Amino acid sequence: MTQAQAEDTRIDWEAGLVQRACSGDTRAFERLYREHVGRVYGLCLRMTRDAHLAEDCTQETFINAWRALPRFETRSSLSTWLHRIAINVSLAKRRKASPVEPMLEDEEGAGVAGEWTLETPVEVQEIEAAIGALPEGARDALVLHALYGYSHGEAAQMLGVAEGTCKAQLHRARKLLRERLNVEVL
Amino acid sequence: MSGTRGRDERKVSSLRELSGAIEPSRDLWPQIEARIDEERRVTPAASAAQERPARRRTVAPRWLAAAAMVASVAVGVWIGRSLLPATRPVAGAPATAAAPTLLDAAYVSDPRYQRQRAALMQSQQAQLAALPPAARDKVMTSLAAIRRAKQDLESELGKDPGNALLQELLVNTYQDEMRVLTDVQQASSAGKGI
Repeated sequence: MTQAQAEDTRIDWEAGLVQRACSGDTRAFERLYREHVGRVYGLCLRMTRDAHLAEDCTQETFINAWRALPRFETRSSLSTWLHRIAINVSLAKRRKASPVEPMLEDEEGAGVAGEWTLETPVEVQEIEAAIGALPEGARDALVLHALYGYSHGEAAQMLGVAEGTCKAQLHRARKLLRERLNVEVL
Repeated sequence: MSGTRGRDERKVSSLRELSGAIEPSRDLWPQIEARIDEERRVTPAASAAQERPARRRTVAPRWLAAAAMVASVAVGVWIGRSLLPATRPVAGAPATAAAPTLLDAAYVSDPRYQRQRAALMQSQQAQLAALPPAARDKVMTSLAAIRRAKQDLESELGKDPGNALLQELLVNTYQDEMRVLTDVQQASSAGKGI
C-alpha cells in the first residue's frame, strides 16, 4: 500500500468515526480523542507553557469539538479543525491569565524562508527550553509553522493575525533561537 | 515549559524533527466523557445528531441576538452619521464600505487598525465630555452594545472557529466600533452633537 493509499484509508476510517460520533457514539469519539490528544495537548502545552492549563485547554477543545461535530465538514482535516479550536481556547485562556503582548510591525518576507535546520545538532530538551522561553507571539508562529507544518498564511489565519505579522514573528523567533542556542538556524 | 515527558537526550538537526505530539501526564478522557454525559442529561436527546436541532434552538438565538445587536447599532450609527454634515473619513481609518469577507478577520489584528483604535480610545474620554449629554448617552449605549456583541461573538467563535457568518459579524462589530469612535472624534472637533 502506498503512503497516499494509507492516508486515504486513514481519512475514511476517521470519517467513519466522525459519522458515528455525530450519531451519539461516545466510544467512536473516544477513538478520535485517543488519535488526536497528543498533538492537541502538545499544541496547548507549547502555547500556554503550563501543564495544568494545557490539560484544561485540551479538555475544553474536545468538549467544544463534540458540540460542534455535526457541523464539521468531513472533506476538511479533522486534525486542522481540532488545532483551530485548541488555538482559540488556548489564546482565550492565555488572555485571561496575562495581558496581550505588543504586536510586531509587518516585515514582509524578512528572513522567514528556510527549513529551520540547525547548523549543529542540539539536544531536544535544550531546543524545547529555548522555544518555551520565546515571547508568546514568536512562539505561537514558530510552533504552528516549524513544528506543525502549517504555511505562513494558515498559521496567521489560525492565530488571527496578518500574514506579515506572522512572518515578522518567525523572523524574531529565528533570531532569538540563534542567540539562545548559539547555533545558526538556517 | 513544564513538560510531561522525561528528559529527551536525543539530538536533532532540524526543528521539524521535534514531535508535535506530547502525551498528557494523565488520561483526560474520563473528565471529557463526564462533561459530555452531563450535557446529554441536561439536553435529554439520545445522540449528538439528535442534539443538533436542540443546539440550534439554543445557539441560534444567541447568534441572532448578536446579529440583531450589530444591525441595530449599525442603524444607530447610520442615523447618527446622517445627522452630521458630510464628513470625510479619518486618514488611515480602515475602509468600511466594502462587504467583509472571511479574510477580513485578519484586519482585526492588523497593527495599523490596532494603532488607529488605540489612538481613538485614548482621546475618547475627553471627546465624550465635550459632547452634549444626550449625544454622549447615545454614544455610550452604542459602544456598550457593540462590546457586548463582540464578547458574544468571540465566545461563539471559540466554540465554532470556522464559522464564516460569525467571523463576518465580528468584523462588522469592529467596523461599527471604529465608525462610532470616528464619529465622536469628528463631532467633537466640529463642536456638534451626534
